Amino acid sequence: MTEPRNSDFRFSNAVDAAKAPAIRCREVTLHIKKKTILDRVSFEIPAGSLAGLLGPNGAGKSSLMRILTGMVPPSSGQAELFCAPVGPERLGVLSFLPDRGQLPPYLGAGEWLRLAAGLYPDWSEARMEELIERLGVDRGQRIGAMSRGQEARLQLLTCLSRQAPIIILDEPFAGVDMVSRESIAQAVVGELADGERTFLIATHDIREMENLFDRIVLIGNGRMLGCHDVEELRAGGRSVESCYREVFA
Amino acid sequence: MPPIRIWKPEDFRLDPSRPLYEQFVEQVRAMIARGELEPGTRLPSVREAAASLRVNPTTIMKTYQELERLGLIVTYRGQGTFVTEDTVVIGESRRDLAREAVARLEDTARSIGLTLEQMLALAREEE
Repeated sequence: MTEPRNSDFRFSNAVDAAKAPAIRCREVTLHIKKKTILDRVSFEIPAGSLAGLLGPNGAGKSSLMRILTGMVPPSSGQAELFCAPVGPERLGVLSFLPDRGQLPPYLGAGEWLRLAAGLYPDWSEARMEELIERLGVDRGQRIGAMSRGQEARLQLLTCLSRQAPIIILDEPFAGVDMVSRESIAQAVVGELADGERTFLIATHDIREMENLFDRIVLIGNGRMLGCHDVEELRAGGRSVESCYREVFA
Repeated sequence: MPPIRIWKPEDFRLDPSRPLYEQFVEQVRAMIARGELEPGTRLPSVREAAASLRVNPTTIMKTYQELERLGLIVTYRGQGTFVTEDTVVIGESRRDLAREAVARLEDTARSIGLTLEQMLALAREEE
């Protein structure tokens, strides 16, 4: 079985009709000055999925994520979370880990978490305690003294301690050591198994994540290059990596 | 409480271009057949297994469903999932695995123009 490439990706993958999509983009376009950053991007992520947003640097992944968070309005097209348009008033349904985000370096991890607990109305102390354990975060450590991996784990902890149903992670593995990558991947799976949450994760790190994704969205040069159910790909003898190579080689 | 088997990613060899659940089913069946997973062994929950193997929970769910359909594992509500203690079922599964292996060998023999018996005889021939 071979998947038609660049076919009508919007409808070629049957979305589980019983589940409303957690994320839906319809012809999302973004122009900044005269440059087209995103060009009619359309896809759907069913609720409860762990989806990968894959593409090379400069493909438009971060811009797409910023649109989903409501930070940047699209020039045209619609982006929806649970069938309602994105925007600042929808911030409560999503938890976002920005690329190269920074936590205040002068705070200790514990102080930061107390601050975050006060910032987010949907903060769960129980979840935080569980994740501190699972991610091996040291509350006493000053953020400025952390390695990239330690800070990435604390950022993920912050993101997952909220109860928001949609989690958007932009390059959570960038510059992160292998052990931290593994514990991040493990924490993500642990969260997903409740079936309550939907993840969209932008990453270059296909090897670490390919067994985790159930769906991948491929974008390059601001355009949609495919949206696949990963087990369907594998049933056709293709891996996430081979699919990525075919599309971007 | 019977011993619980915690899986590590190193326990499985996965080919990323084949459905993962199929490979988990095959490899767990083999573990049960060779007695590495003893009858009555408790298996981790879907969530635990998915987290420790770093795979999508749906993959483990499908794996357990298939093993359950084959009668090799049983789930008791509130207690967990266990390797069956039914040695007849385990014996049948071992026989099925043997048949599948022989069928693959027969294909190989055919591909070099031999029957299985001829191939085995040839391979065992003294120099």
